[in-house]
Amino acid sequence: MRHHGYALMALAACLLANADANANMADNSHRSQTAGIDLITYQTNVKQVVVILGSLPAGDAMAGTGNVAIPTLTGMMLDRGTKTLDKFAISEQLDNVGAEISFGVGTQSLEIHAKCLKKDLPLVLGLVAAELRNPALQAAEFAKAKQQFIGSLQESLQNTEGRAHEAFSRAIFPENHPNHPHSIAEYLAAAKSATLDDVKAFHAKYFGPAHLTLVLVGDVPLAETQSEIAKDFAGWTGGQDYIRPAKPASPAGQRDIAIPLKDKPSVSVILGQATGLRYRDPDALALRVGTAILGRGFTGRLMGTVRDKEGLTYNIGAGVSEDSLTDGAWDISASFAPALLDKGLASTRRVLGSWWQEGVTDAELNARKQGLIGGYLVGLSTTGGLAGAIQSAVQRGYDVSWLDGYPEAVKALTRDQVNKAIHTHLDPNTMVLVEAGSVAAAAGAAAPPATSSPPATSSPPATSTP
Amino acid sequence: MDQKMTVRPVRAVARLRRVTLALASAMALAAPAARAQGAAANSPSAPPAVAGFTYVKSLGGIDEYRLDSNGLSVLLAPDHSAPVVTFQVTYRVGSRNEVTGTTGATHILEHMMFKGSDNYNDPKGNSVKQFLEHVGGQFNATTSVDRTVYFATVGRESLEGYIAIEADRMRHLWLREADRQSEMTVVRNEYERGKNDPDTVLMEEVTAASYVALPYHHPTIGWKSDIEHVPITKLHEFYDTFYWPNNATVTVVGDIEAAAALGLVKKYYGVYPHSPQPIPSIYTEEPAQTGPRRVTVTRPGELGTVVIAHKVPNGRDADQPALEMLDAILSEGKNARLYRALVDSGLAQNAGAGTDLHRDLSLHTVYASLAPGATHTQVEQALLAEIAKIKSSGVTPQEIARVKQQFIAADAYKRDGTAAVASEVNEWIAVGDWTLYVTFPQKVEEVTPADVQRVAKQYLNEDQSTTGWFVPTHQAAETGS
Repeated sequence: MRHHGYALMALAACLLANADANANMADNSHRSQTAGIDLITYQTNVKQVVVILGSLPAGDAMAGTGNVAIPTLTGMMLDRGTKTLDKFAISEQLDNVGAEISFGVGTQSLEIHAKCLKKDLPLVLGLVAAELRNPALQAAEFAKAKQQFIGSLQESLQNTEGRAHEAFSRAIFPENHPNHPHSIAEYLAAAKSATLDDVKAFHAKYFGPAHLTLVLVGDVPLAETQSEIAKDFAGWTGGQDYIRPAKPASPAGQRDIAIPLKDKPSVSVILGQATGLRYRDPDALALRVGTAILGRGFTGRLMGTVRDKEGLTYNIGAGVSEDSLTDGAWDISASFAPALLDKGLASTRRVLGSWWQEGVTDAELNARKQGLIGGYLVGLSTTGGLAGAIQSAVQRGYDVSWLDGYPEAVKALTRDQVNKAIHTHLDPNTMVLVEAGSVAAAAGAAAPPATSSPPATSSPPATSTP
Repeated sequence: MDQKMTVRPVRAVARLRRVTLALASAMALAAPAARAQGAAANSPSAPPAVAGFTYVKSLGGIDEYRLDSNGLSVLLAPDHSAPVVTFQVTYRVGSRNEVTGTTGATHILEHMMFKGSDNYNDPKGNSVKQFLEHVGGQFNATTSVDRTVYFATVGRESLEGYIAIEADRMRHLWLREADRQSEMTVVRNEYERGKNDPDTVLMEEVTAASYVALPYHHPTIGWKSDIEHVPITKLHEFYDTFYWPNNATVTVVGDIEAAAALGLVKKYYGVYPHSPQPIPSIYTEEPAQTGPRRVTVTRPGELGTVVIAHKVPNGRDADQPALEMLDAILSEGKNARLYRALVDSGLAQNAGAGTDLHRDLSLHTVYASLAPGATHTQVEQALLAEIAKIKSSGVTPQEIARVKQQFIAADAYKRDGTAAVASEVNEWIAVGDWTLYVTFPQKVEEVTPADVQRVAKQYLNEDQSTTGWFVPTHQAAETGS
């Protein structure tokens, strides 16, 4: 097992050479400005299949002080007809060749997903362009979209995990931060009062090529793709950049929030804080790797103790999120039966406190580095995995070549860097706790600070190689 | 990162069905000639003869062998597009093998399989989770009604290490009471998480009402009291009854050479004998249903749900391809009949149809989630009206052609990654015939509009139906459920 480091680097060379035996990801990709769009293509060995991912800055945060339902409603209107085709005609064209196009609206982005056979790429690119540029935005379809959005919001009121995440993000990010979501109640009220004119104005302001990224991976014919995109998007202008706050969010301060929901046998729990870090900040990778040691997979400390040894939960993990464009969040997510909630939280805080206070060990760090690099490379072995990795890298402001250097960057981290990042950017004493489910309406008194808890007595042994 | 079981939430039925069968069914449609020629058309050379194995057959690029010493089935699907391999072992045991008092035992045993074995365990620092997370493997295990599967995708250099661990836990598992106690509460929380979703509860009740005698009656995760009280001795019995090479199929997909892969399988699994006793078979048969059944779940919630279920033949039956086409016509895309009749009309948030394929009688469902303001009666009548239209007027050749094109594209999509291929093969193993991974699409290609109308008439009848409503508490008085 001592040879895994070498083996993984060999694996990296092979995987990244998917299209060319001696090349890396940067060599296999092509990036250009085509019709004003940031276009990245990547040729792989997969036959016939092309996966398309896209990002356009037209997410929820762009609503600003306006109607908060408008970004989502605008996204919902895109596949409901264009100026020349109604939604059934679009669907028929796609169905007839088994192609797929869908849109989703996130915090800052309208996300574009498409999949087709190579022969159908011109058709699909043409439809994506038409839906982005010239949606019909008709009143009858708008009424249907509103009703469906309202229904979805009503359903989400009963989702313990969704409710916990919403409350957590609202608590840790200040109101003017892009990662501060609106409440479901606010969305519901906004959806009811939204107008088609609002949607038309939002579309006119935010939809354009200026900050649109398209990533095509698979059996991609480069010249034909560029030509098709140049034709389909010719003459399109406009678009706004992402929101990048000048200053990161300040720590919100310790708070316990309870969201009582009837008849929920499992309570969703989130414990965490804003990090103040963006993905590209110097300590960000070290914090991510340290967090993986705490809460990723079966060998993470949380799963090892709270689930494996103590049997208190089915699922618990820790991660960093929402940091591609802005400073992000750090959280532990878990589920507990109401009767085991206090015990589960106490155990979670013990493991967190020990990790924060004593840091990670060299053995843990070395094992986790190998696992992260190996997992990263296995993830790149599918078209979808590659496309997602490229899209994330580009959104974070890197070029594709950054992906080639990721394994080395992880490998170079030292234990001191990781432990310093943990201590500098996290504080268990001031974390926000959210519980959603069959819990009491009022949150209890603040839990004892994690740092005053005794060190975990049941921490799993540091993982070592077989 | 977690062990999970396959459940059948109503809104997931069609999606799961599509993932499993639509992808599988597309394979042959993309290249029917190649399929017909079998492995010779897909491999540069004939399957190798390897001492100790009997070559069984090849189809669609997959070679089947049997390990002579103990009856272990082996499926090999070389794919050299990336230096990764997916290895999975499918045990032909699921919740269908459980009885009152042991419901959920198959799933608990699946969890216990991560507690260590004689040669690979946490104290030694080489347990399955330690090894796979160290090499960056993507791994999991799932339990369903007809099978239990363990799988990982790893770099090719890690294949032998994983096979060694997987083989060790086939016969040398640690099954200790202390581990059962701590894992029982883990599984119970998994059960509780499922119960957070009213639709999961509804689907469990619809399934329980649909099957009276067959063990599909109870949920794979089990009844709560059984999860809490099943003794470790029963888990030992399960393990010693079903975890034998002659009750398992090993599938290897990815960057392998056939002879080398078989050599590894023989090295690590060849040490075990055939099971000392025959693997028990299920002889229970479901009695004929003689009238419609109804269930209602009333809980706090926001929007209601309607499900209409019908028992249909086993997953290997010749009518399944026509049912597959029927479901696609009902639920795939904006031109699907249920979308037009229920979603576009404002009656439903979403609607679909699908079949949960089983080794014995399968379960077909049509379902819809109510839009705000719609009533259960309206939605149920709309669902029934669409079924009635197909029974009376059939479907069009254009609809059939559209769905077939979707399968052709799905065939190409499913080749994206070794794990996806292995997963689909696994589900057909569970149904009882892995070759359906290849031949099912051929059969779908041959489906005619008349076939679709015939199966709708034959199986989707009121007297064989079980209808379920989820009625959110605040709506209970209005709907009078």
